[in-house]
Amino acid sequence: MKRAFANPLARLGLALIASILLLALLAPVIAPYDPDAINVKSILLPPSAEHWMGTDGLGRDVFSRMLFGARISLLVGFVAVGIATVIGVVLGAFAGFYRGWVDIIIMRLVDVMLSIPTFFLILAVIAFLDPSIWNIMVVIGLTSWMGVARLVRAEFLSLREREFVLSAQTLGASEVRLIFRHLLPNSLTPIIVSFVLGVASAVLLESGLSFLGLGVQPPQASWGNILTDGKEYIQFAWWLSFFPGLAILLTVLGYNLLGEGLRDALDPRKHP
Amino acid sequence: MTRYLLKRLFWMVPLLIGISLISFFIMHLAPGDITTTEAGFNPKASEESRQKLRKLYHLDEPILVQYGYWLKRMATLDFGTSFASHQRPVFWERRDAQGNVQKGLIQEALPVTLLINVLSLVLIFVVALPLGVIAALHQNGPPDRIITLFVFVGFAIPGFWLALMLMYWLGVVHGWLPISGLHSLDHDKLGGLAQLVDTARHLVLPVFISALGGLAGISLFVKNGMLDVLRQDYITTARAKGLPEKTVVYRHALRNALLPLITLLGLSIPGLIGGSVIAESLFAIPGMGKLFYDAVLMRDFPVIMGILTIGAVLTLIGNLLADIAYAWADPRVRRGVVH
Amino acid sequence: MRHIFGLGVLVVLLAACERNPLPPSTDLEASYPVESGGTLIDAMAGEPSGLIPMIAGESAASAIASRIFNTLLRYDRNLELEGELAQSWSISRDQRTITFTLKPGLKWEDGAPLTSADVLFTWELVTDDRTRTPYASDYKLVTKAEAPDARTFRVTYAQPYAPALDSWASLQILPKHILQGQDINTTTFARKPIGSHYYRLEEWKTGERISLVRNPNATQGPPRIDRLISRFIPDPASQFLELMADNIDIMNLNPIQYARIIPARPEMKRNIALYKELGNGYTYLGFNLKRVPFDDVRVRQAINYAIDKQELIDGVLLGLGEPVAAPYKPGTRWVNPELEPYPYDPRKARLLLKAAGFEDHDDDGILDRAGKPLRFEIITNQNKQREMSAVLIQRRLKDIGIEVHIRVLEWASFLGRYIKTGDFDAVILGWGLSLDPDQYNIWHSSQTKPGQFNFIGYHNPMVDKLLEQGRLEMDPDKRMKIYHTFSRLLLEDSPVVYLYAGYGLPAIHKRVRGIDSPAPPAGIGWNAQDWYLPSPLRRTEISAQ
Repeated sequence: MKRAFANPLARLGLALIASILLLALLAPVIAPYDPDAINVKSILLPPSAEHWMGTDGLGRDVFSRMLFGARISLLVGFVAVGIATVIGVVLGAFAGFYRGWVDIIIMRLVDVMLSIPTFFLILAVIAFLDPSIWNIMVVIGLTSWMGVARLVRAEFLSLREREFVLSAQTLGASEVRLIFRHLLPNSLTPIIVSFVLGVASAVLLESGLSFLGLGVQPPQASWGNILTDGKEYIQFAWWLSFFPGLAILLTVLGYNLLGEGLRDALDPRKHP
Repeated sequence: MTRYLLKRLFWMVPLLIGISLISFFIMHLAPGDITTTEAGFNPKASEESRQKLRKLYHLDEPILVQYGYWLKRMATLDFGTSFASHQRPVFWERRDAQGNVQKGLIQEALPVTLLINVLSLVLIFVVALPLGVIAALHQNGPPDRIITLFVFVGFAIPGFWLALMLMYWLGVVHGWLPISGLHSLDHDKLGGLAQLVDTARHLVLPVFISALGGLAGISLFVKNGMLDVLRQDYITTARAKGLPEKTVVYRHALRNALLPLITLLGLSIPGLIGGSVIAESLFAIPGMGKLFYDAVLMRDFPVIMGILTIGAVLTLIGNLLADIAYAWADPRVRRGVVH
Repeated sequence: MRHIFGLGVLVVLLAACERNPLPPSTDLEASYPVESGGTLIDAMAGEPSGLIPMIAGESAASAIASRIFNTLLRYDRNLELEGELAQSWSISRDQRTITFTLKPGLKWEDGAPLTSADVLFTWELVTDDRTRTPYASDYKLVTKAEAPDARTFRVTYAQPYAPALDSWASLQILPKHILQGQDINTTTFARKPIGSHYYRLEEWKTGERISLVRNPNATQGPPRIDRLISRFIPDPASQFLELMADNIDIMNLNPIQYARIIPARPEMKRNIALYKELGNGYTYLGFNLKRVPFDDVRVRQAINYAIDKQELIDGVLLGLGEPVAAPYKPGTRWVNPELEPYPYDPRKARLLLKAAGFEDHDDDGILDRAGKPLRFEIITNQNKQREMSAVLIQRRLKDIGIEVHIRVLEWASFLGRYIKTGDFDAVILGWGLSLDPDQYNIWHSSQTKPGQFNFIGYHNPMVDKLLEQGRLEMDPDKRMKIYHTFSRLLLEDSPVVYLYAGYGLPAIHKRVRGIDSPAPPAGIGWNAQDWYLPSPLRRTEISAQ
C-alpha cells in the first residue's frame, strides 16, 4: 500500500476523494442553505457572496445542492459498485473454485452479458422500471459485475494450485473455509482496484442517465441532474453546469488515479 | 485450427439462446406497451382502437407463445416491422408488391454509428499508441504522469458537458464547425471532394467526443503491455546486441505488446455497434443509440429486441474473429495450450 | 511529418467553412417589399413515423402533414370555422345532416382532380376497422356518408352532433386515385405522400430532415416561401445553439431562453424577433377521486387554495403564462368570464381541512385524521415545467401540513402503469385546449374505464347531463351557456387544480416577414403561407442555387 502513495498521482487521487467524501459527509454542517429551499424571486442568480455557486431555475442555492448532491452521487456509485462486486465475487469465486460445468455456465453468462451493449441494457431496464435511485443502483450493479467475476475467477484458478491452498485442502479445510479464509483474502487486491475504478464509471453513468431524464428523482439533487438542469443554459447560466461538471470530473478523476495507482503499486511485475 | 473453430462456433449456440432470453425478458419488464404510446393522450382516441391495436400486434397471446414467435424470428433474422415507425422493417429493407422498397431501420442506422465509432477507434489508437509507448519508456517520470493525468481527465469529463461547450465555442462563437447533423443542407449540390470535407467537418466533434473517453483504457493498456514486454529476455538480448533503442522499441517491443490489443478490439465491438445515445441526441445523428432510445420510449418492441439481438450477435462474431486472429497470431492458443 | 499532415487536414476543414452570417450592414429593421421565394428552416425534436396523419398521430407528423394535406374546414385567425376545401356547408333542419360543397377546380399535386370521392374515400379509410388509427371515434358517428356529385359531400348522423364540424376541420383528405387498393397501414405513401395543400414533399432524408417545396397545384393558391426545411434535432440545447448560429430560423423557446437569454445577448436580439401566443393547453394537478381523502370536496378545495398559482407562473414560466379557471382557451367564447381561479389562501385551506377532520393531533407537522397522516404522491412525466411545478406545490402543501412525494416517470410507464390502472394519488399533467368545447371524453362519468380519459374518476350527474346536452346543441349561443355552467360546476367541484396555461414562445429570425403580430387568437402560424423572405435577408448558401 505504501508503494501506491509514493506515486504523486495516486496521492492526488486520494486527496480528491477524501476531500469530496468529507464535503459530502459534512454537507448539513457546511451547506449555507436548505438545498430544497425554493425562492422564485432569486432564480438563476450568478455566483456571489451569498450564493457561491449561484442559484438554479427555482432559486435554490447551487452550492448547497452540490454538497447534498455529492451524497447521492457517491451513494449511487458505492452501492451500485458494491452490488456488482458482490455478484462478481460470488460468481467468479464459484467459477474459479469449482471449475468444470459451474465455470462453463457462469462464464457463458458473462459472455452473454458482455455481448449486449451495457448502456442499452441499463437504459431499457430503467425506462421500463421506475427511475428511482434504488432501481438505478440495482440496475447498474446487475449489469457491471462481469469484469470482477472474470478477475476473481482468474485469481482463484491460479491460487487454487498454490502450495498453501493445496496444503489447507489436504488438512481437510471445508470449501467455505477454503474460499473465505484462503482464496478470497489473497484475491482482494484486484477486487479493490476494480471497485475503485467501478465507482468512477458508476458516477459517470448516473450523470448520463440524468441527461436522459432517467436519473434520481426530484427534488433530490444529484450532480447528474444539476448538470442536466443546466445544460440548456450552458452559455447563459454557466454556473449551473460548470460546478457539477467539475465535481464529476474531479471525482471520477480521483477514483481513476487512485485505482490506477493501486494497481501499479500492487502489480508485482512492475517492481522487479 | 478447424477443431478450434468448430468448438468456438458450437459455444455460440448457448450464447445466442441466452441473448434471446435476456432481450425477451427485458421487453416484458415493461408494464406499458405500444398501445399506450401510439395513441398518445389525445382525448379523441378511443379505447376500442387501442384494443384493436393490441390484437393486431399479438400482444394478447401468452408470453410463451410470444417467445416462440421470437425465437423463430431470431433464427431467420426476421425482426419484423416497427410498431412505431410506420411498419418499417426493423433490420433490412423489404420490397412490397408494387416494387416499393422500404429501408430497414437498423440498415440505415448501423452504418452511421459504425462510421463514427470506427473513426473514433482509429483516433483512439493513433493517439493512444504513442502516448502509451512514451509513458512506458518514461515510467514514473513527468511524461508518464502528465499522460496519465491527461487521459484520465478525458475519461472523467462528462461527455455531454464538453460537447455542448465545444458546440458553443467552435460552432456558435467562431463558426468553425457545424453544430449538429451529418450533412449540410446543400450537401447534395457539392462536388465529391467538397462533400467529403463537409461530412468530415460534421464528424469532427462527435468523433472527438466519443474518442476522448476511450483514450484512457487503450493508452494504459499499451503502456502496461510495453512495460511487460520491455522486461522480457529477448528485449534485453536485443539491447545487448547493440541494436538502436528505436529499433528495439518499435520493431521488437511494440509488436509484441500489440498482440493483446486484438482481444481488446474484439471487446470494444459492443461499444462500436452500440453508439452513444447521448452524443447522438446532442449532435442529431441518426445512429443506433438514437434509434434504440426512441424505441425504448415508444415501447417499440421489435426495434428494441432487434437492436439488442443484432448488436449481441455482431459482437459475438467480432469476438470470434478476434479470437481467430489471436489464435492465428499465437500458435499456443491454436494448439489448445492456453485458453 | 504526421503533425504537419494533421495540421493540413485541420486547415482544410476550417477553411471549408464559410459561414454566411448576414453582413453587419444588413438592416434587419427596415421594411422590405413582399416577394416570393427563399427557404425557411426550422427544427423539430422528433422525426415523423410517416406522413399519413390519421395513422402517424404524433405531433411531428401532423406539423408536416398539415402543410401537405387539406381539410374540408379550417379555423381562421379568430378561431372561427371557415371553408378550406369546402366552399360552403349547410346543416339540415333536423340538424343531423351536413352537406359540404367543395370549391371548384381542386387538384392534387399530380394534377388529378380532387373531388368529393376523395373525401368519401378518406372517411371510409378512417372508419375502416383494419385501419390502425386512434382517431376513428368521431367519424364512426356518421351513419351515412355519400358523394352524390363531384363537388358535394354529405354526412348524416343518428342524432345532432355538435362537435361534428370541428371533426371535419381535422380530417386530412387523402387521394383516392393513389391509395385505392393499398393497405393504408403499410403503404410507402407514408414516406412519399401526394397532397393538395401549399407544399409537397421534396425530399426526406431519414434522421436528418424533411424538405417541402411549393405545390404548383395548391388548392389554396401559392404560398410565398419556396421551400420549408425541417431538421430533426432531438436535443433542445442543440436546437438553441443552431438558432444562435443562425442555422435555423424558427424555434419554440422555453421561458428562460425567452425572458433571460435572448434579451441578454445583443447579437441574438439583433437577429431574432420574439413572439408570444396563447398556448394550446393548460397544466393541472388532478386528484384520484376514487381515493381517500380526495373523495372529499373540502380537501380538494383546500389544496386548491393552498397552491399559489401566481408563484407557479412566476417561477416555472417566468411570468409567461396565465392562470385559468375553465378548461378553455383564454379569450375564446367558451370561457365563462365570471369565473376566477381559487386565490392563494392558506388560512382558508387549513379551515377547510379542519372541517374535513384533518388536524395535527400528534404535533409532527403533518395533519392527520383518525391516526392517518395527510400524505400523498404526485406523479408526472418527464417534463421540466411539470417537474418544477410539482416541487413548488410540494413546498406550498408542506406549509399547511400536507406531505407530498414526487415521482417523475417516463411517458410510456407513466401512462401504462399508473394512469390506465388508476394507481396514483395525484397527477400533474396537461390537457389540450380543443377549439370545440365538447369535453365529454374527459369529464363524463361513462369515460372512467381503464385507458379512457376520465382517469381521475370524476363523476357529477349534473356535469354529465350538461356534457350530453352540449353535444346535441347546434346553436352556438345556447351551447356557450351550457359550457359556462359546466365550467362553473367543475371549478366548484375542484376535481383538478388548474395550474396555468403557458404561452407559446416562438422565436423567429427577423428575415421572416409578414408575421401577424401581436399574435391573433389562432397564433402566429395561421398565415404562414403569407410569410415572406426579402431577398437581401436570405441565406446565401441556399438561394445561390
